[in-house]
Amino acid sequence: MKQIMIDVNLCNGCLTCTLACSAAHSLSQEIVGAMSEKTPTRIKILPVKGRAVPLMCRHCEQPACVDACMTGAMQKDPCTGIVSNEGNDQTCVGCWMCIMACPYGAINQHPTEKVALKCDRCKDREIPSCVESCPNKALRFTEVNAFADERAINVAAALIAAD
Amino acid sequence: MQHVIIGNSAAGVRAAETLRALDPEAKIIIIAEENHPAYSRCLLPDLLAGSRDELSLQIRSDDFYVKNNIQTLLGKKANSVDPVAHKVNLEGGSSVSYDKLLIATGAISFIPPMPGINNPNVFALRDLRDAKNILQAIEKARRIVIVGGGFVGLEAAYALYHRGLEVTIVEKMPHILPQQFDAQAAEILKRDMQAEGIRFILGRGIKEIAAPRLWGRLFGRPETGVILEDGERLKADVILISIGTRANIEVIKHTGILVNQGIPVNDFMETNLPDIYAAGDVAETKDAVTGKIGLTPIWPNASTQGRIAAYNMAGIKKAYTGLIGMQNAVEFREVPAIALGITQPVGDEYEILQDYRPDRNLYKKLVLRNNILVGMILVGRIEQAGIYGALIKKKQELKLSHQVLMRDDFSYGHLYPL
Amino acid sequence: MSNCDNNCGDCNLSAHKSTNEMYARTTKMGIPTIFDRWEDQQPQCGFGMQGVCCQLCSHGPCRITQKAERAICGATADTIVARNLVRLASHGAAAYSHHLEEIAKTLKATAQGKTPYKIGDVAKLRTIAGVVGLDNTKSAEELAIALADIILAEMRKGSDEPLALLNLFAPETRKQAWRKLGIIPGGLLSEIRDAMTKTMSNIDTDPVDLLLTAVRLSLATGYMGLVGTITLQDILLGTPELVKSQADLGIIDLETVNIVAHGHVPLVATAVLQAINDPEIQKLAKAAGAKGIKVYGSMCTGQELMQRSATSSQGFSGQLSNWLSQEYYVATGAVELVMMDMNCSIPGLKTVADQFHTKLISVDKVLRMEGVDHLDYEPEKVADQAKQLIKMAIELYKKRGTNIHIPPYKADVVAGFGVETIANALGGSLEPLLDAVKSGAIKGIAAVVGCTNNRNGHDHKALTIMREFIKNNVLVISAGCTSSAAQIEGLMDPTAAQLCGESLKAVCQSLGIPPILNFGSCVDIGRIGVAVTTIAGALGVDPSQLPVVASAPEYLEQKAIADGIFAVAFGLLTHIGPVPPVTGSAMVTKILTQDIEQLLGGRVLVEEDPVKATAIMVTHIDAKRKALGI
Repeated sequence: MKQIMIDVNLCNGCLTCTLACSAAHSLSQEIVGAMSEKTPTRIKILPVKGRAVPLMCRHCEQPACVDACMTGAMQKDPCTGIVSNEGNDQTCVGCWMCIMACPYGAINQHPTEKVALKCDRCKDREIPSCVESCPNKALRFTEVNAFADERAINVAAALIAAD
Repeated sequence: MQHVIIGNSAAGVRAAETLRALDPEAKIIIIAEENHPAYSRCLLPDLLAGSRDELSLQIRSDDFYVKNNIQTLLGKKANSVDPVAHKVNLEGGSSVSYDKLLIATGAISFIPPMPGINNPNVFALRDLRDAKNILQAIEKARRIVIVGGGFVGLEAAYALYHRGLEVTIVEKMPHILPQQFDAQAAEILKRDMQAEGIRFILGRGIKEIAAPRLWGRLFGRPETGVILEDGERLKADVILISIGTRANIEVIKHTGILVNQGIPVNDFMETNLPDIYAAGDVAETKDAVTGKIGLTPIWPNASTQGRIAAYNMAGIKKAYTGLIGMQNAVEFREVPAIALGITQPVGDEYEILQDYRPDRNLYKKLVLRNNILVGMILVGRIEQAGIYGALIKKKQELKLSHQVLMRDDFSYGHLYPL
Repeated sequence: MSNCDNNCGDCNLSAHKSTNEMYARTTKMGIPTIFDRWEDQQPQCGFGMQGVCCQLCSHGPCRITQKAERAICGATADTIVARNLVRLASHGAAAYSHHLEEIAKTLKATAQGKTPYKIGDVAKLRTIAGVVGLDNTKSAEELAIALADIILAEMRKGSDEPLALLNLFAPETRKQAWRKLGIIPGGLLSEIRDAMTKTMSNIDTDPVDLLLTAVRLSLATGYMGLVGTITLQDILLGTPELVKSQADLGIIDLETVNIVAHGHVPLVATAVLQAINDPEIQKLAKAAGAKGIKVYGSMCTGQELMQRSATSSQGFSGQLSNWLSQEYYVATGAVELVMMDMNCSIPGLKTVADQFHTKLISVDKVLRMEGVDHLDYEPEKVADQAKQLIKMAIELYKKRGTNIHIPPYKADVVAGFGVETIANALGGSLEPLLDAVKSGAIKGIAAVVGCTNNRNGHDHKALTIMREFIKNNVLVISAGCTSSAAQIEGLMDPTAAQLCGESLKAVCQSLGIPPILNFGSCVDIGRIGVAVTTIAGALGVDPSQLPVVASAPEYLEQKAIADGIFAVAFGLLTHIGPVPPVTGSAMVTKILTQDIEQLLGGRVLVEEDPVKATAIMVTHIDAKRKALGI
């Protein structure tokens, strides 16, 4: 299954992904409009020691947030693998149990509505909006094993080159 | 394979759906005393407040049981279990056989014995029926006294305050939420609710429910009320007792099952009797922080335990990890708060890091022992709760300075190997 | 806070106890200050930090990325980086020219008897007048007017008419190097115009030409904005003399009306210091319950006042802070009035001032801030303006609240160094100093100058570098905010000689001087230029051969960019931190850090580790000594 994989070394903190995420989840579907709608972003760029670290929900195989959710709103779609508290029969009440459970801190309180806010991997798009917008290719929407294999090959190549 | 689950709430439902995902063929039967599709008891205060209706309390869609091919025996009370014959005996005489049995019967409200406690105006808040009874009682009510300033009591207080009632909370301990939060966190939250007009009486418990007849005799008015430990009287039309719960172990009495306050289980959710598992508010598990075996009556743990139990019932050995007993998330007006682990440490071996800004409704408290994080309170800003929680569950010696740990922008990025 | 990698728990935001204490106070009071706003801005955009973001036209903002090698117009990273650099240097040049204009006009008006000032150094006036070709037997007033007119004309003349000051004061060998590159500048304002024109979109897109433009502009800035300004200021307000003073927040007196001069141009504050002695003013202060009136300095204005506090700025009470800690002296709650001029008054200052009785006021026509009054300096009106300002402060004193906290730290300072004072201290000439350098007792000289910066440490870096230098027997001269930092930490007091290597310690102790010499304010980088020129002349070598380096370890703003390029053009190894926004262009980076050395003798050194940086610079000094055979 495809996941959003992050190469931290390629991120330079330009925050374009946060703007694209807002735009994708806004009514106007574009950046300037999203800013006046004040649509919040679901991807975060964390400042750590002068570096920028992108983070969004990992859509875990065994999501702690799904266990924690006491309304049943947070679910993992068995087909797409997307973990989301939106679009299901059960609705989120903003009890923040999921925030308590997520080890990445990838879930936030929505700034204005009393619901939990998290990445939904752009359910309605072929490629998540953040991935599409990243000018540095720090975000990739790819099969997990493909990502791992590519990295392994790169490391191997570097080892050979160092010889 | 026939899996029988007694209980239709967090643990039971999670176990059932996990079982179905793991084994498309097995027979799965849920037995529950309440005649409703599974609902969230955590949402009962919303029902009291009028912000949700009964249907919207459901935790799964209407077609959940059918879609997952789960047979349900709702409205049927399980009376006893025969561990040798592998049978569950239901009220009315029938019985259900099992290959694997999961006890997920949850807990019942603890009503303390005291004079006047059988008053019809005294309620608990545990299940839907309780909530409906309260709704009926408050139609003509003005004043409500809530005994117990814990999680349930405060949620109910806020809900009923929203209905327009005058609410007084009586808590025996010196501060509200005494189990999970410390005095400083409790102060911020109490102030927030007090500003609305909810009244708090702290440091005093009650000793008697004043019966209508008594009051009526003295004052010619048919009023109920409570009498505090020191003798002070509070008038009340409705009284809610929310001072805790007891594990619902009724069904497994006389089975020879090892019982403590609840049903202790091993790493694989197994009781001491073969083929019998327990999960949820009824089960006792090892606390990841304290190492002690005990009850952890909180929804996320119940749900997780149900899921783990299902794996083991399905024949896949899977141990539970990282269950913390003390944890909760609250938000009444606008101030959210989360507590995890050991939040009120006693003893010299703990180190406490605090950032207390009550004027801005902010509080962060981290408790360490041997440079390992064992407890956390967050008030006002709660986004970091899960990250601190993960550190608590990992039980790793911290490689970060305390300054970094306490930063307002401390994030997963600080743990990521850059 | 800083981007440092250390995980230690000891790190405080600032190198100064007083700042950290005040930050705790503002945090408790819920007042956001610069350290908080820094956090809120993280993470910052890497494209901007690399200098590869261009916002000039409405096609932008364009970034040079993996995907897009060129901007929409076709500009490369090299063009964008170089162009941005020139624009920053232009800002610096323009600001310096404003300062120079104010001084020149004031000198003229003073000679015409219209100001409360007196010509402070007539001897220097005659000397300089002679050098620029005036008949210096004429009266001081005539000479002052003529000299002021010459400077004003120099600023305005065309860029094709070479600068007289450069011609007269620059070493011959330097002029040769600059002539070869065709970068001898003309009038400062014309150079600024040319640079701004060139850097408009789609005019000059040649990165090499742009860099040469930046160097040319820095030369005009250096000789007019720096050397020109300090020369005129010395003539007008007096050449600095050695004087004792104090620094840090602990010098704030609770019993006086407290006025702070914050900025760069010391004219208004000098007039205020004169007016304080007026008996009527004194009476008003006493009537308000104060024991008197005190004027403190913040940043460059403070340095100017301090180094002349034996003459034209007598009564000056000491230096409070540098750029990063400005909000914190306001947060003491014990400051009545802040007189702001030119640059470095941050808008955030108003938020803090609003929490107290403190009033901010602009005394400079270019300085405007939302919600802040102005009383723009005019030389003919300044005597009255000074009285007005003091009366304002006295009224505010009556409104002073009780929420006051003054951190109890203060340091002794010796100030007023320059070529003249050093020569005087050494018995009339620089020979003893040169002998000490030749013998190796003083290994070399490091000019550690410039701003203070949140990005890499609020003075941690600058102070570490200064301490490392003196440990290695390198004499340090400082100007600007780094100077304030050194003063606050007691490094500009003779007792700091303790921290030196043995030979430098002996020299300082025998002369009774600190190992870190305060040359003054940002414009006094010109004073440093004069000193280096003098030493080079005395030794008969080009400045690039001297065992001298420059370091601006925490540069912040655009004047510093102009200064840094000037130092490079002067032939010096110039260490700059934090990393300037040029790394997005490999070409520009290589030119500035490597290739430019062959052309100009100096180059940029970027090294964020202060100990490593100092080691590199000391090695460089050693190499220069060897080449000179000393």
